[in-house]
Amino acid sequence: MSPKKTPTRTWSASGDLAARRRALNAASAREYAHSRHLAQRDVLLSILTPIVLLAIWETAARLGWIDARLFSPPTRILSQGATMVANGQLWANLLPTLLRLLTGFVTGSIAGIVVGLLMGVSRVVRAALGPMFTALYALPKIAILPLLLLIFGLTETPKILSVAISVFFVLQINTVAGVVQIDERILEAARAYRATGWRLFRFVLLPGAMPSIFTGLQVAAGSGVIVITAVEYVASNQGLGFLIWNSWLLFQPAQMYVGLIVVSLLGALLTGAVVLLERAVVPWRRANTLRKKRNT
Amino acid sequence: MAVISSGIRPAFLVEGVSKMFAGRTGEVLALDDVSLQLREGSFTCIVGPSGCGKSTLLRILGGLETATLGTVTANLAATDVPESAFVFQEHGVFPWFTVLDNVAFGVRMAGVRKARREKIAHDWIGRIGLTGFEGAYPHQLSGGMRQRIAIARAFATGSPSLLMDEPLGALDAQTRMLMQEQLLRVWESDQKTVVLVTHQIEEALLLGDVVVVMSARPGRVKEIITVPFPRPRPADLEGTPEFAALRQHIWNALRDEVRASMEFS
Ligand SMILES: Nc1ncnc2c1ncn2[C@@H]1O[C@H](COP(=O)(O)OP(=O)(O)O)[C@@H](O)[C@H]1O
Ligand SMILES: [Mg+2]
Repeated sequence: MSPKKTPTRTWSASGDLAARRRALNAASAREYAHSRHLAQRDVLLSILTPIVLLAIWETAARLGWIDARLFSPPTRILSQGATMVANGQLWANLLPTLLRLLTGFVTGSIAGIVVGLLMGVSRVVRAALGPMFTALYALPKIAILPLLLLIFGLTETPKILSVAISVFFVLQINTVAGVVQIDERILEAARAYRATGWRLFRFVLLPGAMPSIFTGLQVAAGSGVIVITAVEYVASNQGLGFLIWNSWLLFQPAQMYVGLIVVSLLGALLTGAVVLLERAVVPWRRANTLRKKRNT
Repeated sequence: MAVISSGIRPAFLVEGVSKMFAGRTGEVLALDDVSLQLREGSFTCIVGPSGCGKSTLLRILGGLETATLGTVTANLAATDVPESAFVFQEHGVFPWFTVLDNVAFGVRMAGVRKARREKIAHDWIGRIGLTGFEGAYPHQLSGGMRQRIAIARAFATGSPSLLMDEPLGALDAQTRMLMQEQLLRVWESDQKTVVLVTHQIEEALLLGDVVVVMSARPGRVKEIITVPFPRPRPADLEGTPEFAALRQHIWNALRDEVRASMEFS
């Protein structure tokens, strides 16, 4: 088989620098335009899909294909939401949930990260606490709510504590894993360049554990929302969980949908805030994912 | 044992070093009775079949690993900086630091102030050809570029000895040649004691004063070759019959060992 002749491009053969530049710029502009186009298409699809589904839901409910009393049509939910915003009912239930969730999330995260870091750097602490925490992790956190109610009564404390405890365990486990899983070669490099004590912690162990800590924060954001909703089902007469539960008791499906939507938004916002924080605190991880995601 | 030193105290004195790794799967004798003297300011290259303990020997030299038997005495004048700066086989650059912070890490740990260490780092980034990438993270760079960050970090630290474990392995041929020249320049200007592990016999002969040929595992010193070519070594050295003869000699010695190491495992 004879080798194929590759077509030579005149501008490269001529060695005309300006022409080569122009061709290069044009090609890279095309490439950029293409990737922009793909990104726009992604966004469009992500918005279009739910809109189509909502339209189907609306039509089905109005035409009686599904029971409109159970599956309130989206427009009905929307107007119910507007009413609840206007009469202050939504805000009155959103605020307590938000406060409980944030207080529990922040305290639980900080405690979990601190304990996790201690366990990560100290073999003694790890050996002492690790197995116990692993065992406790398996306990469904919501199951200890009655005990907390017994101890603290029907106050805010057991609600916040339920969130904090569940968040704590997620963060503690992820932080330990983050420290322990730091690449041995990285640790050796740190040792070779005399990073010890505080500097080892500050420049190597902490940044090394950061990606895992943020994974933990994201997971914890989700589970925190679950826990606070469940707690409010049974132990509160205020909050989004209460709103949803009460809608069942009073048979007010539209109101229930509003509650469900707001709870999901709350979860999404908290997760989004964690992601934004991660971009600020862990810029090297973002750089990494950008590189990996570049191809469609 | 061949004596390399000429009366003065050697920078590294390795006496009867053996290293045994004990693990769950059994014991591995990585090094067996290795003795070496490395003259201060000398350039030593180590070649040997893979798994023969080259990396282990380098770690022991730098104090990252302790010998099971035998002693290593380092006699290097280092006040604030570590005695040895490492370039690891798998570079070990920090993913969370930019190129600038990675290169400055050694001097930073040595307590050098920000303005000064960044000046040093900038200088070295320029010398290894990464200007413009100061703010980039390692993940954004190619493997060869990361390897160069690790080399710059070691150079910038200013340690009297440089211990390098196949530092040019991930580089393409042209960059490799440029880095070899850079390495020689640093070595000549700063009078550093350099130990370089390489799998390229040519590289060992181009760069080294001395080539240590190691046996298959357990690693022993099979032969110590004093490289006779005067410096500065000409660009066409590789084409000379003397070079070819020495390369053939080392290759013959290695071939038996590589064969042995393959039968062994
Ligand atoms: N930390 C360790 N634990 C157990 N075995 C090891 C360890 N480090 C190296 N070894 C073993 O020691 C031998 C020599 O390893 P190494 O020094 O990396 O060889 P080389 O660098 O010449 O390829 C190998 O058989 C390797 O598996
Ligand atoms: Mg090795």
